[in-house]
Amino acid sequence: MDRNSPPPKQGKQRFTIVDFLLFAAVAALILYAGYRVNDVLVYHWNWSRVLGFLVKYDQESQSWVSNLLLQGLATTLRLAIWATVFATLVGIIMGYWRTCENLALRIVSRCYVELIRNIPPIVFIFIFYFFVSSQLFPAIGIYNIDRDNPWVANEVFAFLFGDPALLDNFLAGMICLSLFEGAYITEIVRAGIQSTPKGQWEAARSIGLSHFNVLRDIILPQAVRKILPPLAGQFITLIKDSAIISLISIQELTFVANEVAATTTRVFETWILVGAMYFVLCYSFALLFAHLERRAKRSQR
Amino acid sequence: MTLSKQLKPLLLAALLVVAGNIFTISAATAGMLEDVQKRGTLRVGMATFVPWAMRDKDGNLIGFEIDVATQVAEDMGVKVEFVPTAWSGIIPALIAKKFDIIIGGMSITPQRNLTVNFTTPYAHSGQQMAANMQLAGDFKTREDFNSSDVTIACRRGATPCKAAQKLFPKATVRRFDDDAQAFQEVVNGNAHGMISSAPKPRFWSDAHPTKVFLPFGDENLTKGDEAFALRKGDPDALNFFSNWIVVKTSNGWLQERHDYWFQDQSAWKDMVAPQ
Repeated sequence: MDRNSPPPKQGKQRFTIVDFLLFAAVAALILYAGYRVNDVLVYHWNWSRVLGFLVKYDQESQSWVSNLLLQGLATTLRLAIWATVFATLVGIIMGYWRTCENLALRIVSRCYVELIRNIPPIVFIFIFYFFVSSQLFPAIGIYNIDRDNPWVANEVFAFLFGDPALLDNFLAGMICLSLFEGAYITEIVRAGIQSTPKGQWEAARSIGLSHFNVLRDIILPQAVRKILPPLAGQFITLIKDSAIISLISIQELTFVANEVAATTTRVFETWILVGAMYFVLCYSFALLFAHLERRAKRSQR
Repeated sequence: MTLSKQLKPLLLAALLVVAGNIFTISAATAGMLEDVQKRGTLRVGMATFVPWAMRDKDGNLIGFEIDVATQVAEDMGVKVEFVPTAWSGIIPALIAKKFDIIIGGMSITPQRNLTVNFTTPYAHSGQQMAANMQLAGDFKTREDFNSSDVTIACRRGATPCKAAQKLFPKATVRRFDDDAQAFQEVVNGNAHGMISSAPKPRFWSDAHPTKVFLPFGDENLTKGDEAFALRKGDPDALNFFSNWIVVKTSNGWLQERHDYWFQDQSAWKDMVAPQ
């Protein structure tokens, strides 16, 4: 090689014999485990009964409509999205309060975070559901919502919030999830804000931007870009924690799966199928966040 | 400085709103029957438990409980609304007014009666045992199961486990979250027998005739009484539902529905799932 010849091309990724042997070994291990499990476990696999709960053929409308499991998935999706929105809101407000100069706000946000972070999720959910929501919801009249009101009994409402009859149920689950995850998002946002150099604040204030403008246009954009990886992890945790709130009888995927498993007694098929549904849901979120991270990287030098 | 000046009047306003609401809540303590008739629906709490309540192929609720609750609501002149609830939290949910009544095959026990009111019983079931043919094929009497190398599986937190401990004190009792898991232990040969509410053990042994059998036949190990559960402090509602049960028992309606769902699965098996 001398300075007149072209630079060497980057080496191509090639599968060597070692890679092939490794893959074969892992595949053999999985197959052997599957065979042993099937041998020891005396179980008649019957997938058709459980798959029938995904979609059903409606005689009236002569078309395939969603059955219990897909409806549960829709509720989980609604819960995940709404709880994400509110948890982000709570997280950003509390995260800012953790870092501002006002002592009262710092105390309030610190109390919120420490109270929730140091309780197991199930305990918090039970406390919230049986004590807080049973006192709060009758006071704000959720149970007496007029179901025939045109604002309520239309397609858009059902699409956004689900069945109006289950609204108080859905709201309890959503608020519970948002409050719980909001505490973790608070700490993530605080880390993002504190990692932005103090010089940014000083420079922005010195050119006359108001406090709120500095936050919105200078600090938070930089902070959010930095915290996208842990934020993605937290939102995926939120989706998985939505399975825990099936314990307070929210009609989401895990609760419905429990009913299906009890009715058909096909325990393994139901839970494997539901596990696959959760995986698809969470992995889609992960891909979305990877896309956001790539976009964020593009704007950096 | 400006923030605290803004906070004080806001805090005062919030306190006044909450105070106003509290006074309106305490005034509205009408009985449950009036509430239901005003609302036009009876909200019933239940949990999925074959064949008391389960889902059919289309995802609708069917079962003995569903028939009973639908008939009660029809006799009251209102619609029925089911609130599927996790069994472990069903009594707290009733007390928190998530629904009006529990029609879910709840056995009367004194401990539960301290927190809720029970009507007269509308069904009598009991615990049955299903046993593994290989391990316990020659067990004939209850004493055979009461030994330290016998394992009994049951669903945790409910009457089956208490019955297992009381009847077979020397045996090892293994608790599971679910009847299906407990039954799977017996089928796999990891437990000698499992105790569950009738008629589930019979249904399961019918499904696995070569591996599982009923060592005591159709005889129930314990006898239980199931009733509706209501919040305390409402004698009118308790009277109404108890007498409804008395009437339906006398004219045979309850027995006929019970036989339909519990005798064997042939009447409704096709509704539940394609085979």
